[in-house]
Amino acid sequence: MKKILIIIQREYVTRVKRKSFIITTLLAPLGFFALISGSVLISTFSQGRTDVAVIDDSGLFKDVPLPDADDQTVYFHRVSGKVDEFSAELPKAEKEKRKYQAILYIPANFNINNPNNPVISYRYVERPGMMKKQFISDRMNDAVAKLRMKMLNINEEVQQQMEKKFQLDYSSLDNQSEKKGYTEAAGIAGMVMGFAIYISLFFYGTMIMKGVMEEKTNRIVEVLTSSVKPFQLLMGKIIGVGAVGLTQFILWIVLMAVVNLVAGIIFGAAIHSHTPNMGNMQSGGLDADDIQLLMKNLSSLPFTQIALLFPLYFLGGFLLYGSLFAAVGAAMGEDGDQQSLMIPITVPIIISIFIAINVINNPDSSLGFWGSIIPFTSPVVMSALLPFRPVWWQIALSILLLIGGFVLTTYIAARIYRVGILMYGKKITLKEMGRWIFART
Amino acid sequence: MQKAFLFLNIALTFASMSLLSLQHIVKQYGNYRASDDVSFEIPKGKIFGLLGPNGAGKTTLIRMITRILYPDAGNILFNGEQLSDKHTENIGYMPEERGLYKKMKVGEHLIYLGRLKGLSQTQAKENVNDWLKKFQIETWFNKNIEELSKGMSQKVQFIATVLHNPDLLILDEPFSGLDPINSKLIEQEIRDMSLKGKTIIFSTHRMEQVEEICDEIVLVNKGKKILEGGVKELKQRFKENKFNIQFNGEIKNGLLNNLNVVEQSAGEVTVKYNEEHRGNELLKLFVEHGMEVSSFNELLPSVNEIFIRQVETN
Repeated sequence: MKKILIIIQREYVTRVKRKSFIITTLLAPLGFFALISGSVLISTFSQGRTDVAVIDDSGLFKDVPLPDADDQTVYFHRVSGKVDEFSAELPKAEKEKRKYQAILYIPANFNINNPNNPVISYRYVERPGMMKKQFISDRMNDAVAKLRMKMLNINEEVQQQMEKKFQLDYSSLDNQSEKKGYTEAAGIAGMVMGFAIYISLFFYGTMIMKGVMEEKTNRIVEVLTSSVKPFQLLMGKIIGVGAVGLTQFILWIVLMAVVNLVAGIIFGAAIHSHTPNMGNMQSGGLDADDIQLLMKNLSSLPFTQIALLFPLYFLGGFLLYGSLFAAVGAAMGEDGDQQSLMIPITVPIIISIFIAINVINNPDSSLGFWGSIIPFTSPVVMSALLPFRPVWWQIALSILLLIGGFVLTTYIAARIYRVGILMYGKKITLKEMGRWIFART
Repeated sequence: MQKAFLFLNIALTFASMSLLSLQHIVKQYGNYRASDDVSFEIPKGKIFGLLGPNGAGKTTLIRMITRILYPDAGNILFNGEQLSDKHTENIGYMPEERGLYKKMKVGEHLIYLGRLKGLSQTQAKENVNDWLKKFQIETWFNKNIEELSKGMSQKVQFIATVLHNPDLLILDEPFSGLDPINSKLIEQEIRDMSLKGKTIIFSTHRMEQVEEICDEIVLVNKGKKILEGGVKELKQRFKENKFNIQFNGEIKNGLLNNLNVVEQSAGEVTVKYNEEHRGNELLKLFVEHGMEVSSFNELLPSVNEIFIRQVETN
């Protein structure tokens, strides 16, 4: 036991001291920061301004408002004249400065009852992006709708009445009325947790594998195994890397909180003024109220249960897959070119994230049930299910099987590992690895 | 009663003579027998050569002594006790293919390996400093392993092997990659260790080193032990009674008539003499014939010759 502690200490300290650790730990929140600020900046500034000359030959839209875009990307200017004249005035090449960059043309014979024949046309030099296109289409659709209602003599008050949305009340039979929007909040929380485990399994699993390969390639392993048992070496490495992962996670949470605070102060105004826009542009997207509701619901998730079980599944999944990654690392050749040996490990992890995505939409499906029970998929799937409050016996069974699963994989991996680390100059197949499980040393 | 005590005493003395005792060791990989009923004793305080061609099963034997592998059958005794994990702290092993963690500093790396051999942090640090001082490389303590040349890291590996002051040292090709100066340094260390009563198993292909360094050898081939004994004793056992005589002037007529001449050149002749007679008689013959003998040597086979001959006949 003492020797395992010494190994854990080395695995931990050498990794945490490495430049790459410090860089990834710092860069991830910075990346997060860049993502937030970048998306704000990009949507605010980089789309560029388009001045659209609106030529309404039909005269129908004379009194219909055509508001400019809130994010200062599209401006409408009503002009009169011939389309060809304005076309000639458009810039000849991209980036060339002209008064108008596009023409919206409503033909004289435009028929409100048959708006697709003839059509309203938009002519441009610089192709509009998806957001701009969506915005212009939405504006014209609104205008046509307003025009129609006007023609039908529907006054403004009635119009507003018609546009009002209502909310359905969802509740279970035992009269536990579900809070509005809870399912969505649970889905988001589940997805975040499922992905966190999915990514860390790959990230830290590969770290273990590389560590094992390093020891094998530089041949220190023979000196080490003359001092400690291969099993001690294996456990020391897995736990050491696990501790590195935990440290990194804690640092990330702290750093992200700090970054979030800083970003909030710097870009707070921008994000705030920008969010409703995005809501307008993506029809059916979230608006400010939705986000508030989501936040409220996130705080009503079963936190105690999640706080207890999520780390357990994290740990269980890590032990289960960590030892397998170590076994593959031990079997890999010195050049590490036998990526095919990784397939039996990577496939179940990838399958589990697909099940998790499905489970968020159908928490009660049998796929979700089996996925949350089978130890190879349960760490990811059950984490995604936790916010949906699965029944206690499902959790209990899943944990029991997970414990059994990692005991089994650790045992198998240790047997492969002890043979693999001393095996050189031979291309190893999966069949060969299978034979090692039963080999004597 | 007194007699029994005496016997016991003799038995104990005899038992304590060998540090390591391998008894009928068998190790099988699939259909291949890497060790086939191998037995030998390694005496305490001696430098013991474990020799054999490539693939003879030397590394397998060493790995079983260091408890990296376990024998399928047979027994290994360490100091009279059944070899177990606790003994690994009393063994220092320097494998032929060896390496270090690249991303560590020399000092912390050595301390780590020392601690895995059961030293405390402070004791390990103390020993590391002593050894670095001994080799006059104190400045290496904070050097990165990646910055070391091959010869430099060999030195670090040697220190790692002896750091915990083990009673048994196993050195597999310890001189490979070392320049002559460092070779000499390590060789001197090996001799010093031996003088301090440490037992050393020395595995190599370089026979001239075996002759220089080893007290006793065992020769294995295809998993089997084919020869063992003291270096001097083996040379005697495999000698061919050849004598080289150097002299001034010409060979006197008739002197070589009854002798089996192997080689002859100006001022020198090599003779294979019959076994019953000693070298003295041959020398006497030369002197009686009025030859002026300047040098008279019995030609003993080199360990290399014994090795090749034994491997070929087996």
